[in-house]
Amino acid sequence: MILSEKTVKKIREKASKYPKRKGAILPSLTLAYKQLGYVDNEIYIEISEVINVPQLEIAEAASFYTMFPKKPRGKYLLQVCNNISCALLGADAMVDRLEEKLAIKRGETTDDGLFTLISVECLGSCCTAPMIQINDDFHENLTREKLDKLLESLKNGK
Amino acid sequence: MSEVVKEKITAVDTVTCTIDGQQITVPRGTSVFDAAGQIGIVIPAFCNHAKLKPVGACRMCYVEIEKMPKLQVSCATMATDGMVVSTNSQQVREGRKAVIEFTLINHPLDCPTCDKGGECDLQDLTFDHGYDDSRFGFDKMRFIEEEKRDTFDDLKIGPEIVLNRNRCILCYKCVRANKEAFGEYDIGAFERGDLTEINATPGGEVSNPFSGNLVEICPVGALTNSDWRYKIRVWLTKTVPSICNFSGSGTNITFYKEDHKNFVYRVTSRCNDAIDDGWLSDITRYGYQIVNSESRLKTPLIKKGGKQVKASWDEALAVIKKHMGQIKDQSGGVCIGGLISPSLDNASLYSFSKLFRTVFKSNNIDFRGDYRYLPSVTDSLFTIAASQPFSISDIEKSDVIITFGTDLIREHHNEYLKIRRAVNFYNSTVYSVNPYAVKTADIAKSEMVYSPGTDELVINGICLVAIEKKLVNSSAAAKLKSKISKLSPGVLAKLTGLSKEQFEELAEAISSAKKVTFIVGEIVARSLDRDKICAALSNLNKLFGVQDKGQLAVLSRYANSKGAQKLGLSATPYEIVKDELKKIWGEYPDCQPRNTDAMINLMKKEEIKGFITVGANPMRLYPDRSFASEGLEHVDFLVACDMFETETTELADVVLPLCSWAEYDGDYINLEGKVQTGKQAIKPKYESKAAFEIMELIARQLGAKLFENEQVKNEEIEKLLKLDSVLPWPDDFLKIEYEKKSSQDGYPVPLFICDDPHHSGHLTEKSPSLLNFSDSAYVELSKGLAAKIGVADGDPLRVESPVGKIVVPAKISPVLNSDVAIIPRNFSSTQTTSLLMRKKRVDSVKLTRVEE
Amino acid sequence: MTFYSPVLTNAKEIAGHDKLHLFEFVEDEKQYQLKRYLKHGGYAAWKTVLGKMKPEEVIEEVKKSGLRGRGGAGFPTGMKWSFVPKDSPKERYLCCNADESEPGTCKDRVLMERDPHVVIEGMAIGAYAIGCHLMFCYIRGEFHHCIERIEKATEEAYSKGHLGKNIYGSGYDLEMIIHTGAGAYMCGEETGLLNSIEGEKGMARIRPPFPAIEGLWECPTIVNNVESLAAVPHIINRGADWYRSMGTEKSAGTKLFSLSGHINRPGNYEVELGFSLQKLIYDSNYGNGISDGKKLKAVIPGGVSTPFLTPDKVDVPLDYESLTEAGSMLGSGGVIVLHEDTCIVWTILKLIKFFRHESCGKCTPCREGTGWLEQIIQKIEDGRGGPDDLEKLDSICGNILGRTICPLGDAAVMPIQSTLKDWRDEWLYHIEHKKCLVKQDFGF
Repeated sequence: MILSEKTVKKIREKASKYPKRKGAILPSLTLAYKQLGYVDNEIYIEISEVINVPQLEIAEAASFYTMFPKKPRGKYLLQVCNNISCALLGADAMVDRLEEKLAIKRGETTDDGLFTLISVECLGSCCTAPMIQINDDFHENLTREKLDKLLESLKNGK
Repeated sequence: MSEVVKEKITAVDTVTCTIDGQQITVPRGTSVFDAAGQIGIVIPAFCNHAKLKPVGACRMCYVEIEKMPKLQVSCATMATDGMVVSTNSQQVREGRKAVIEFTLINHPLDCPTCDKGGECDLQDLTFDHGYDDSRFGFDKMRFIEEEKRDTFDDLKIGPEIVLNRNRCILCYKCVRANKEAFGEYDIGAFERGDLTEINATPGGEVSNPFSGNLVEICPVGALTNSDWRYKIRVWLTKTVPSICNFSGSGTNITFYKEDHKNFVYRVTSRCNDAIDDGWLSDITRYGYQIVNSESRLKTPLIKKGGKQVKASWDEALAVIKKHMGQIKDQSGGVCIGGLISPSLDNASLYSFSKLFRTVFKSNNIDFRGDYRYLPSVTDSLFTIAASQPFSISDIEKSDVIITFGTDLIREHHNEYLKIRRAVNFYNSTVYSVNPYAVKTADIAKSEMVYSPGTDELVINGICLVAIEKKLVNSSAAAKLKSKISKLSPGVLAKLTGLSKEQFEELAEAISSAKKVTFIVGEIVARSLDRDKICAALSNLNKLFGVQDKGQLAVLSRYANSKGAQKLGLSATPYEIVKDELKKIWGEYPDCQPRNTDAMINLMKKEEIKGFITVGANPMRLYPDRSFASEGLEHVDFLVACDMFETETTELADVVLPLCSWAEYDGDYINLEGKVQTGKQAIKPKYESKAAFEIMELIARQLGAKLFENEQVKNEEIEKLLKLDSVLPWPDDFLKIEYEKKSSQDGYPVPLFICDDPHHSGHLTEKSPSLLNFSDSAYVELSKGLAAKIGVADGDPLRVESPVGKIVVPAKISPVLNSDVAIIPRNFSSTQTTSLLMRKKRVDSVKLTRVEE
Repeated sequence: MTFYSPVLTNAKEIAGHDKLHLFEFVEDEKQYQLKRYLKHGGYAAWKTVLGKMKPEEVIEEVKKSGLRGRGGAGFPTGMKWSFVPKDSPKERYLCCNADESEPGTCKDRVLMERDPHVVIEGMAIGAYAIGCHLMFCYIRGEFHHCIERIEKATEEAYSKGHLGKNIYGSGYDLEMIIHTGAGAYMCGEETGLLNSIEGEKGMARIRPPFPAIEGLWECPTIVNNVESLAAVPHIINRGADWYRSMGTEKSAGTKLFSLSGHINRPGNYEVELGFSLQKLIYDSNYGNGISDGKKLKAVIPGGVSTPFLTPDKVDVPLDYESLTEAGSMLGSGGVIVLHEDTCIVWTILKLIKFFRHESCGKCTPCREGTGWLEQIIQKIEDGRGGPDDLEKLDSICGNILGRTICPLGDAAVMPIQSTLKDWRDEWLYHIEHKKCLVKQDFGF
């Protein structure tokens, strides 16, 4: 098993609360992603065995949502909101700057595996735009200076 | 189940609405789409399917409804009282045009090279409703596999199915049918929005036993199959209505044939709501390919110097005349026996019976080549149970459905689907009660797996608990209690491996049901204890009054098993059939009747000297290979009629090429007793002849004549079919003694030999498409058992019984959860019946890993 | 880093205000803790309901209050609850729609992060009203901190007996599952949300049957927005009449507005319904005017699914009826302000890209139409537009509007249609001159 015992235990716990087994698909995928940073077909099969739902149903669901990448991403996942409220305040330029600073295009990962940059739809930080989500954390009301500082601190492993 | 559908069932009330100016009254819960259809108004649609729940996805079926400002989708809008619908207003026409336009923007216009051309919904509806020009000025989206650039973007996603995602218009019918109707999870829709794509489960393939339907219901050329692809344009073919020849259900089919080539190109469904809902098993769909097979027997063969050589019909008949005449004259007709396939039509079966009984004056005939040690009396309890009335369409009307001793997906595909439908659409409750875990159980409320060989104890347990819990009439209860063994429910639970609670759950379900369907299948039919099990069923039926509120029957397995019973093809026909035959013929042989088992036994004793098989292959299917071969090798003169060389024809002195059912008109009686006609699609291939013709030819060789003409034959058959062929259950409760049964020491794993889900009997291995799904034997076992033995999927496994040994690959079952072994009997490369002994109560084997 | 969003609110104004209530404690850093919540009168309504009220009475009270769904559609909450069949033998479910993902909207997030218990309490009362014993809180997966806060709060609520078995000795059992989304706007649409909880893709379902009759697992199900549910405890505590006394005749109560874009004081503001949009944008307590001293070009009043308003229409009361009359919708309350140097074509391109990306792919017009629209608009934006493109856009929008399973199709085209109508010259200019009419530069 690629899934850890801990994850499997959490999946079983969560699954037991749902009236129907299929309901546990999303929580299982989420827990698997939390452990691994990706969810691929092998994981669908493992989840399928744990919650007793056809592999297909898990694969279909996983493919629909954007938060279950099939391959691992950088240590820091930089998600820049690129929807209207952020864009009005320079989100496009912010992505450009990140591309330049990290020397990658959106959708790519730096060679050292530290950063993956993607532009995403609205993250619900419209009144504190522009913003970037780095792994679980939101960084809001960003300015060029704040962003540069943030990048530096991440690079330095803080 | 949706409220709508439920209402449909309980609806006594109706609604009246107006569609395009015409008033129509329909049951409440009818969609506008269906209501319109009832008055001949065809509303165009892509995603709607009569047998699936509506999803309103394609938006093609728009209608305008008064008081509703927006267009409505008629598939998902229920007709209501006073509703005024227009299916062809300006707004509706514009709406449809827009949908066609949207649908076409990413659809390639590769119609000239598309196999669906000529029968494509998108083509037809564009012709009827679309623009004649495109406003889309961009490149169409194209799914492409880099390494397959030159293959029209086609992707093989299963043994038969080819997918072209570019053509897919995302009606989702394939995925819906697969999940909703078949309970299969091997094709899905992935990603989202306009990137959505249909594909096989990652790492898997679309290979379920109903997968051919996905191709048939695809409205465009996105799903095609290698069976039909690039072989012929549909408009060059003609259609002929026929019946499936591989199951007992009589599934309705359509042959697509081409006259000049005298070739059948494919089979599609011919929806008959009362039987099949328009779904075909792959066996039904691809099994027809045996008709075109190059390996068919082309001419008669006669044995010369120990070798079979080609001969003309005249030569072959002359040899038959000589030898059969000799046996008849010297030893008497009672020394001649015969076995015929219950898949043959009425005329053939009846001619066979008449040849034996009036020309040979012999009672040595049978149609059951794969049942061991059959009861030798007419009204054996098994025969009674198998004669009980059954209605396929009553399945979905039953609130409680019990499947007992039947692995439906290997025996009765059509009923398997009907049961799924009953659950999904009509809220029926299913109980799956079998000696091993079966696929049907995924829709069952409870699955109860009992120890192999304890079938009748399970039934007794249900009865006893019902009595104990006072769920049944008390006087009946008292009468029955004295008859069944003294074992308490607790002990029965222990013996069967079930629990008292499970007995109670079943007893509760049967007693509280409004309508019951109780299906008994091949596991019971092929059991040596079938009579005892049927005695228990007789008691259960009487105790609960099952048939007063539903149906209970052993389902017939083959295309014309019912016909064979009705026409008296067993050695001991029903009394009324025998009487009628006497009346028609003015005679009836008074010699002792011998069934298959008795006949084979007598071959060894050289009391059966001449034997005729027609479409039957006892060498492969009789559940004791060495017993059968010892017998048949002893026969002085063996005539075998078949479409192909088989293990049986190999032994024959004369081999006669038999027509397929596609080559002549024939009547077949399905498991409900319904007579249906399969029409002739093509002329007999090569020199083959229909069985009824061969029987007449043999009769005439022997100086007799079966029928003056066809009309006489039909009239005689008609008389027999008119008889009521339901045998009454015994009046009293039956005594059932307990007898200890166990598997043999050293052979711990119970064995079940049955059909592969993609095969039926011994002929389907001649269908290339079906071989693509499954082409050789295996032993299916549970994950747990495999682990115990130390084998992985595909590893070779030695399967040994006290009498035989085979080596086949292991196949880990996703369903099985107990220690049993399942082996298919459909492949000539593995003689599975060599593991069986006809007098064995529980077949069992030893499984060992083959060391490399 | 800051634990919760640094978003500006008008909590100070609300403190001591006898009407505004939703944001009263959102600046209290400990409000998320049960102890503090109880101190502020938390779970009193839940106790009242379980101790003294019948489910029908709860529904009646909420009906009387005039509370309408705050997720966007504005359907009366009490009436929705009353649609659950009284005699249905099936389980009933309540789902809190916390999948806040309408671009321009970030109000539910603030409530959940800072006052999670009020959401739980509102859910509990709603659950009781419809006879539900298992409720779901569907939070979008990206809101990690909201999820944590709600999870913690739920644990606390369980441990202190506000949830679980036999709550307050009433005999009423109520369980709660926090179900997190995973990146799909469609799951904010109620039927998409239900599918997502069931483990399906978040695709829309056809209606009828409506969720109140057949929702989760074919059982009666109510889906309410976070803000709607958060108002419920207040209504129970202070009475329907009090709630009714706020807002307008048909749009009672208060509403949270997220003010974003080219505005001096972007933030989340609670105001009574009927509050002037003009005031929200220009008043120094709220938006304090357009940023950089520029002129107003357009306002998207209710999230990106709503038609744009031209500056002359901005003097409009923020309530359901008035905005409809003005040609737009109140929507989710996400007010996005665009200044004069914003290109309309660029803006619309942003929006249509979003809708195409989020279209679930079930029904043809939305699946195919959004992609087609995007390609045409991209072409115009790139300076490759042709003379017939605007008519094509008109026509395609018309072929999507009102023709799809769920409102996403309408949402995708209504903003386009409104700009094609009100800023047609700018579209034409873009096509003719192959560039923007304005000098747009959103530097960073």
